[in-house]
Amino acid sequence: MASMQDSLALKPSNDFARRTKILLMGTKRSGKTSIQQVLFNNLPPKQTFYIEPTKRITKHAFDTFIPLEIWDCPGDVTVDSLDTPLSEFTTILFVIDIRALYQEPISKLVEFMVAAHQVNPDINFEVFLHKAEKLMEDDKIEYYRLIHEGVMDRLADESPEYEQVPLNFHLTSVYDHSLQDAFSHVLHKLVDSLSFLEDLLNIFCSNTSSPKAFLFDTTSRLYVATDASPVDQATHNLCCDYLYMLNAFGPLFKSNMTNDSSPPDQSPSTPPPTAITSPSTSLASPNPIHPNIGPPTVSNLPKTLPMTPGSKPVFYPSASTSLSPSHPGTTLTYHLVTPHLALLALLPSEVYEMRRGLVEWNVVWFREGIREIWEVEREGRSGKGP
Amino acid sequence: MKKKVLLMGASGSGKTSMRSMIFSNNPASLTSRLGATIDVEQNHVRFLGDLILNLWDCGGQDAFMDSYLTTQRSTIFSHVGVMIYVFDVEMREPEMSKDLDYYQECLGSLAQFSKDASVFLLVHKMDLVREGERAAILLKKTKELEKESRDVSVKVFGTSIYDETLYKAWSNIVNTLIPNAQNLSKHLRKFADACSATEVILFERTTFLVIATSSNPDSSDSFPPDTVATHALDPKRYERTSELIKAFKQSCSRLREEFHSLEMELSEFTAVLDEMTKNTYVLVVVHNPIVETAAIKMNIRMARRKFEELQGDSLVS
Ligand SMILES: Nc1nc2c(ncn2[C@@H]2O[C@H](COP(=O)(O)OP(=O)(O)OP(=O)(O)O)[C@@H](O)[C@H]2O)c(=O)[nH]1
Ligand SMILES: Nc1nc2c(ncn2[C@@H]2O[C@H](COP(=O)(O)OP(=O)(O)O)[C@@H](O)[C@H]2O)c(=O)[nH]1
Ligand SMILES: [Mg+2]
Repeated sequence: MASMQDSLALKPSNDFARRTKILLMGTKRSGKTSIQQVLFNNLPPKQTFYIEPTKRITKHAFDTFIPLEIWDCPGDVTVDSLDTPLSEFTTILFVIDIRALYQEPISKLVEFMVAAHQVNPDINFEVFLHKAEKLMEDDKIEYYRLIHEGVMDRLADESPEYEQVPLNFHLTSVYDHSLQDAFSHVLHKLVDSLSFLEDLLNIFCSNTSSPKAFLFDTTSRLYVATDASPVDQATHNLCCDYLYMLNAFGPLFKSNMTNDSSPPDQSPSTPPPTAITSPSTSLASPNPIHPNIGPPTVSNLPKTLPMTPGSKPVFYPSASTSLSPSHPGTTLTYHLVTPHLALLALLPSEVYEMRRGLVEWNVVWFREGIREIWEVEREGRSGKGP
Repeated sequence: MKKKVLLMGASGSGKTSMRSMIFSNNPASLTSRLGATIDVEQNHVRFLGDLILNLWDCGGQDAFMDSYLTTQRSTIFSHVGVMIYVFDVEMREPEMSKDLDYYQECLGSLAQFSKDASVFLLVHKMDLVREGERAAILLKKTKELEKESRDVSVKVFGTSIYDETLYKAWSNIVNTLIPNAQNLSKHLRKFADACSATEVILFERTTFLVIATSSNPDSSDSFPPDTVATHALDPKRYERTSELIKAFKQSCSRLREEFHSLEMELSEFTAVLDEMTKNTYVLVVVHNPIVETAAIKMNIRMARRKFEELQGDSLVS
């Protein structure tokens, strides 16, 4: 979307002194622009069909837990024509159409690896074997093996020292959530405070008996961190679909009459407000009234609490969906913790229903923790911090 | 109560695909694996408890069509509640003329054997038309089809299995089969008032098609003015909700879980989606920030028995 570039152009790195740069490259028609647009611009996968070839390098700013800048390149870009030293980039993401079993993409990848290694041996190299949904399961593995071997052989030809260079392969497709999963892994390596985020998630899980929790970026549906338990594909897919549904519901029933309960400031430059909601908020005792008698039902506790005297009340959206009516069932919860990040957790329905206060208290605590880590990240970037 | 629904149209126009999405909860991506339907595939779907839809998915190859219109004529066209004729939006001449001939013969047969049947025409695969041109193409097709239908009154919808339009068309279709849907709406309005809700929507449980809403269809001249009118919600919200929930139900089942209920306290509104009766789900949408989901849930629980009764009544014509 134009607005992303616009916003970058309008306020060149005023809030964050340094954006983490990702170079998105690969041969023509491999799917680079599609990847960028589907992840960061909400383009429906089917619409990628209409994307025009990229003629020149386009920079896309994206603010998640850290500020990113993704450089989408034309297919024929070379180390020289890039015009920017490779040392500027933290990650080089190389996209290969998985069915392209010819030498060109491999030579190009190796050329960039050699060049990048000379200026910055720590640079992350990530390879997306893209359009993987087109292959059957067995073929995917076979094609992956062939390409992987091809790259390793070529690297060994260059110099034995490259055998040690870490190179990560991911099977991706815009048509399922493998793309979000792969890019999430790319993102994790860029978040310095990842281990602190993981600690917070681990604590949340153990306090609430949650088998799985994620910190998701709500718009891109990438997860910034997750607890220590392994991520299974089906659970990850469900969380992505859940976010998609919630994102879609918001505008659908948005009324032009609603005013007060506006969400926290959408600008990423504003720190998320401190939550001063108390555990008792969640223990609201409703006063339901039979539909045929009496006035509308109104609960006796406010959902929003003033943040500081005189300021606007802060409201954090939340949602939950119960899966399976039988016991022991599972509930999937959603709690916004900053304007762009949400905590998604699978909880035993029993815990969510019987001990709601405990869950909410842990969310408040989690939100506080995230905010503190985020502030440290921010200060580090703007050069004020350590 | 049984209602016979005929699904007709040329081979490949998408009849079996839409049936499998609406009634079997299959994702659109699986429809490409469907083979051509041989002769007639009959299905009984329990819809809303006592209402049973008897779906006749009629394979559209010429040989089958010819036989429907000759030897099988009375079997096919007797006791029909609704006929749905599906037209592939991409169909060109000369197939188009032939298809229209078949369509007119079907109308003739209906007039003879089931003169009270309603007729719905679906201009299908609209996703293949560029978004900007869809409205114009649909208008042109509608005019054409209305002309071909002569004095038979028909309802035309543009549809695609890839978006919410499918749910809009089918919600309209099943609504003609629920005799007392108005009565349900009236009670939904009362219920909405009791919950301070902007809107309440009732869905059939398995298809998630909209059965009734609390919004007054002719609210413009109602007094006092309808709350929904002043709230100006998205006009596509019913069919989009059906589509979103159906998709989410699919992802739940992929995890071998079963979708049960949903609560949202978003910045735009508060809502609860929960079971209303054995065969229905209800969505209560509230814009009053003081109302909590727990209160809405309690109200739903207390309204359940009343709606079980109403639902039974709504099917007695
Ligand atoms: N693009 C697009 N393709 C569709 C749509 N609906 C169905 N199709 C495709 O059309 C093809 C034929 O669909 P069917 O449902 O088997 O057609 P049918 O009308 O049952 O055909 P017969 O049984 O031979 O009469 C399938 O490959 C579907 O995937 C749609 O809305 N858009
Ligand atoms: N089957 C399939 N096609 C894809 C996928 N991602 C992108 N494409 C298609 O690949 C083509 C080229 O995409 P584009 O993003 O322009 O490639 P770029 O030149 O690398 O930027 C487009 O027609 C896309 O629709 C995918 O995951 N699966
Ligand atoms: Mg068929």
